[in-house]
Amino acid sequence: MMKRRKRTQILIQSDHRLAKDFAESIIQNYNCQEIVAPHYGLTMVKMRESAKNSLFYIGEVLVTEAKVEINNQIGIGIVVGMQDELARHLAIIDAAYKANLPETMEWNSQLQRAEQQVINKRAKEQAELFETKVNFETMDV
Amino acid sequence: MGYVAVKGGTNAIEASIERLKYDRIKDEEILEVNTILATMKAMIDHVMSESSLYSPLLAALAIKQAEGSMEEAVFLMRAHRSTLPRLYYSQTVESESMLVERRISASFKDIPGGQLLGATRDYTHRLLDFELIDEDQNHNEQWLRDYKDKLAEIKALDGVQYFPKVVDYLREEGLFKRHEMDNEKPDDITKQSLHFPASRSARLQVLTRGQTGAVTSLGYASLRGYGQVHPTVGEVRVGDLPIYVAHPNEMEQNEENEFYIGEIKVTEVESFVPVTVKNEQNESELEFEIGYGICYGQNETKAIAMSILDQCLEHPEAEFPTHDEEFVLLHIDSVEATGFISHLKLPHYVTFQSKLDSVRQVKKGGFKDEN
Repeated sequence: MMKRRKRTQILIQSDHRLAKDFAESIIQNYNCQEIVAPHYGLTMVKMRESAKNSLFYIGEVLVTEAKVEINNQIGIGIVVGMQDELARHLAIIDAAYKANLPETMEWNSQLQRAEQQVINKRAKEQAELFETKVNFETMDV
Repeated sequence: MGYVAVKGGTNAIEASIERLKYDRIKDEEILEVNTILATMKAMIDHVMSESSLYSPLLAALAIKQAEGSMEEAVFLMRAHRSTLPRLYYSQTVESESMLVERRISASFKDIPGGQLLGATRDYTHRLLDFELIDEDQNHNEQWLRDYKDKLAEIKALDGVQYFPKVVDYLREEGLFKRHEMDNEKPDDITKQSLHFPASRSARLQVLTRGQTGAVTSLGYASLRGYGQVHPTVGEVRVGDLPIYVAHPNEMEQNEENEFYIGEIKVTEVESFVPVTVKNEQNESELEFEIGYGICYGQNETKAIAMSILDQCLEHPEAEFPTHDEEFVLLHIDSVEATGFISHLKLPHYVTFQSKLDSVRQVKKGGFKDEN
């Protein structure tokens, strides 16, 4: 079973239709009770600075959070920005994993494919960006 | 003249607020929030950084509502922030995890991973482009098609690359001191008032949310001689940092069970500052220290200036205002500075009458003495 850190990264970075498809497949077959409707709040971002390796707060980031219960298991969806639908879908998916629903076993291959697509897309964008990499030539003076 | 207590003005205030709306919409042009989001990125970055709230959408809305006034937009964002609950604290973000889109060094031409210019105005002519007055969507679409065709020919990399820090390379050579990981819980100036001497965490928090102009001016003052820091920029990097949060109530906490919640764009600067230190033989020798600067969005001038001020404040012994943490930290906040200055235009009738009365009394007394 894919762990939360990896699966949330894939679901947020890839096309959000994947999270929607997963969530809808659960809604159709299980009683999903909304505990906390999508709402906005803040996450304080803690950073390590690289001069003395100490910690400080750079500031807050706006997030949307939702909570859903399935089979007595509460799932949480959190995402940067104002994204009500995605937060709700993430909460349903998180609850599905916590409740060990059989559907989650079938998601692995789709998640892995989506992860590869994200990597390919980013690697392509980075290659495009590398056109701005400086190639220095040392001058004879 | 005695004191006169006054009331009223409600109708005038209501009419003034109506007038404000009238002035904003009378030319019958509507600036869409999406247009601001797409075309005013630098302004959005300034507002997010100074308000200490990362939300491009809210920043764009604030800019629209404030009609482009930065101080008003930051004020609106800070006010809105105060209405929102703080739901989570992130796990520690390490900037090595940045997906870099720009990264340069003024110290070395050959840095591991290379110098990546990304999108920058550094090498543009500062001439007004009058063609933008009649910008044509069809022309833009054609330009985009041509550009994307050109990009399509570029082969993807084998994987996503993450860049090492320039300073790590120098630390390996023993040219910079290695600091142990300091995991002391940071102070939070939004929860506790700033007190002096300020901790390093409080100083960095105040500097990163400082007003761009104020931070830049004080950094510049230090360079010009009202300070003792003249750095070489070791590395400027701009890119996206991934944010993770721990589950709020699961017993088993491990990295793999954290939530990834998205990314934030930041500019980070490490400035190299030569300092003279005494070695074990009590001889003076040259060493390098690092000034650290970071801010939300792409704002390189602010981040560099912050790195200068960070280094200044690490050396409070110097007799310059830029090394005085009370002077620096208490005067760079946008809402505090603009709020205090602008309150001067609000009614001060009673206090001013009191001052006037005092001056009149003094003058009356003065004339008596001369007579």
